[in-house]
Amino acid sequence: MQKKAIGTALMAVGLVVAVLGLAIMAVLGPDGRFKTGPHAIDTDGIAVVTAPKVISWENVSVEILAEVPANKPVFVGVANSVDVQAYLKGVQRLEVTKFTIPWSVRTRTIEGRKALPAAPTALDWWRAHAAGLGGAVIKTQLPDETVSAVVLAVGSSNLRGLQVTFAYGLRGGFFKGIGLLLGGLGMAWAGRLARRGETIWEEDDEVDDESPSQPDWAGDESPTELIPAWPKHAGGRDDGDHDEHETVYVYVDDQGIEHEITAEEAAAYEVVGEHVEHVEHVEPTPGPPSSGPTRDDDVTYFWIDEHGVEHEVGAHELHEFELFDDDDQDNS
Amino acid sequence: MRRIVLAAAAALALSGCGLVPHPRRDVRLEQIADKSDVAAILDHYREVRNAAIGLLDPKPLSIVESGPMLAIDSGSFEVSQRLSRSESEDNRNLQVSSIETPVFSRYPLWFMVTAFDPAARVDVVQIFERHTPTEPWLLVAAPQTLPSTQLPGLRHDRHGRVFRVAANDGRGMIKSPQGAATAYADALGSMTDALPGIARDDFIKKRRSEFDDANRLEGVTVTQTWAAERVKQALRTEDGGALVWVTLLRLDTYQVQPGIKVSWAPGSPQQAFLAHGITGVGKLRYYHQVLLYVPGGDDPPRALGQFGGVVSADADAALAPVPAPTASAEPFPGASPLPGGLPTFPSASPTASASPSNS
Repeated sequence: MQKKAIGTALMAVGLVVAVLGLAIMAVLGPDGRFKTGPHAIDTDGIAVVTAPKVISWENVSVEILAEVPANKPVFVGVANSVDVQAYLKGVQRLEVTKFTIPWSVRTRTIEGRKALPAAPTALDWWRAHAAGLGGAVIKTQLPDETVSAVVLAVGSSNLRGLQVTFAYGLRGGFFKGIGLLLGGLGMAWAGRLARRGETIWEEDDEVDDESPSQPDWAGDESPTELIPAWPKHAGGRDDGDHDEHETVYVYVDDQGIEHEITAEEAAAYEVVGEHVEHVEHVEPTPGPPSSGPTRDDDVTYFWIDEHGVEHEVGAHELHEFELFDDDDQDNS
Repeated sequence: MRRIVLAAAAALALSGCGLVPHPRRDVRLEQIADKSDVAAILDHYREVRNAAIGLLDPKPLSIVESGPMLAIDSGSFEVSQRLSRSESEDNRNLQVSSIETPVFSRYPLWFMVTAFDPAARVDVVQIFERHTPTEPWLLVAAPQTLPSTQLPGLRHDRHGRVFRVAANDGRGMIKSPQGAATAYADALGSMTDALPGIARDDFIKKRRSEFDDANRLEGVTVTQTWAAERVKQALRTEDGGALVWVTLLRLDTYQVQPGIKVSWAPGSPQQAFLAHGITGVGKLRYYHQVLLYVPGGDDPPRALGQFGGVVSADADAALAPVPAPTASAEPFPGASPLPGGLPTFPSASPTASASPSNS
């Protein structure tokens, strides 16, 4: 019973894991990343920045592509939030206060001067950055520190018409998804085996201390197989509308000899098989001696005259004749 | 059955290891000075300083130094120019022995570098600061200690980062860093021998000795005032105390009776600024950077190292204030009763003589 429960749980978990792996493979694709966008960002300012702690993940590969029309110069960067916050202090900006994947953003506008304190390309604290005309893209691995992502207008331009494409993923994510799928399937298979009472490996001979003690067997015999129960018909047939069952427990020793044991003794062993045997029980019927036919309907009596001609007679006429059995004659 | 479960768990762990990205548990607004960048910062500093020396112009120093440090170094260039001598190129080849990086949640950022200067045979305990993200790292303090001076151990977190101490945080110490700095300045300016709460260390004894010597000049009255600037850098020591970088502003006022002139030895920084000496009233302003150790417990603060010099001077209001001078040659001689003591420098004591103009 316990094995069944554990097996069922394993199967369930394994299937969930397998589905998860499959989902990761489907979402990330062979390149291991998920891409969303381009998404338009409504701003005519010079800076778009994520607030501190909006990006709270690590070890995730991100790719940010910022595009602006008319070949305007644009800058994209990721840096420690302390640096970014100090850099943009007092600058008008659109701050992303909440971001959820695949793409859901909440923003607020912070008023300030419409000029950056210094050219972003002149700073040395960017974890990753890129600048270009009409667009810029960065690819980076999120570090173990609080970082902010920024999109900045360079020079005297602005970010009107900004579109952002965002991609994130895991290095080798597709193959890790395969690993999850296989691992999940393995778990499900193990669970199925457990449900059936089978094991992947042979169990040790160790005996669980908490298990019931085995009965003592005479000599050096020890049971190698226990066949717990096969019902037998213990009573007679009663027009075939109900059966009586009797459960008999036996074990089979090394020599293949079956020994009947009690139900209490059988409780100490593992059930390895059940056999149901229907035993025909024939009611004894009144009539001729046990050596002869047992039912009148099945016997035909004849007498043979002096010419060798057979004449059928009824059972009530038999007392007038001496009985001879054909079968006995044939056998003799 | 247990094996099946274990095997299944292992398979899952192996397949899923590192797969699922996880949010950081300690999302904190913090920044540290990157140790890997320190070597580049030191190289850049040396390169700019040598460029300034080559030009005999202190202006380039402003991109690698700031505050009193810049004032003191600019003063040394000024002295060189006035005395028509060239500065020696900065080929000190400082040997960095340790770098300590605190954690910050906002600017300014700073870090500490301890290095041995084989030329001067002193240890330099430098502070580099970045005031805003658009500015470079600047050297703001560089007190020097004797190699025999043991700096107190600093307390580190599990990431090896040191703890800063707020200027007004005096828990576990006899005084807060700011309180200790102020008390130290008061002790230096005190005309009495009483030094409440401050150890009578080598620096104090030397300053007092110089002051007494100047006042022994006939017809000359010298007053000296000390003030501590706001403490910006302090680190927690292992004993619960603090290592504090203190900047002290010192003002020496000379009141010279008519017919007498106070002058300094040729080649000294004071003489470079006051080439004609002082007749009447003259003032000298100094910056002193002191590495102050405030021990945990009830022990009084004491100086472990110092660096300073004249930054401006004027006499009879006829000489305009000059941004600077003297420099690495501020005299602090004398043996120290304290372990380690302080670095010593050549002395430049004033002398009084009859003024030709009044004779």
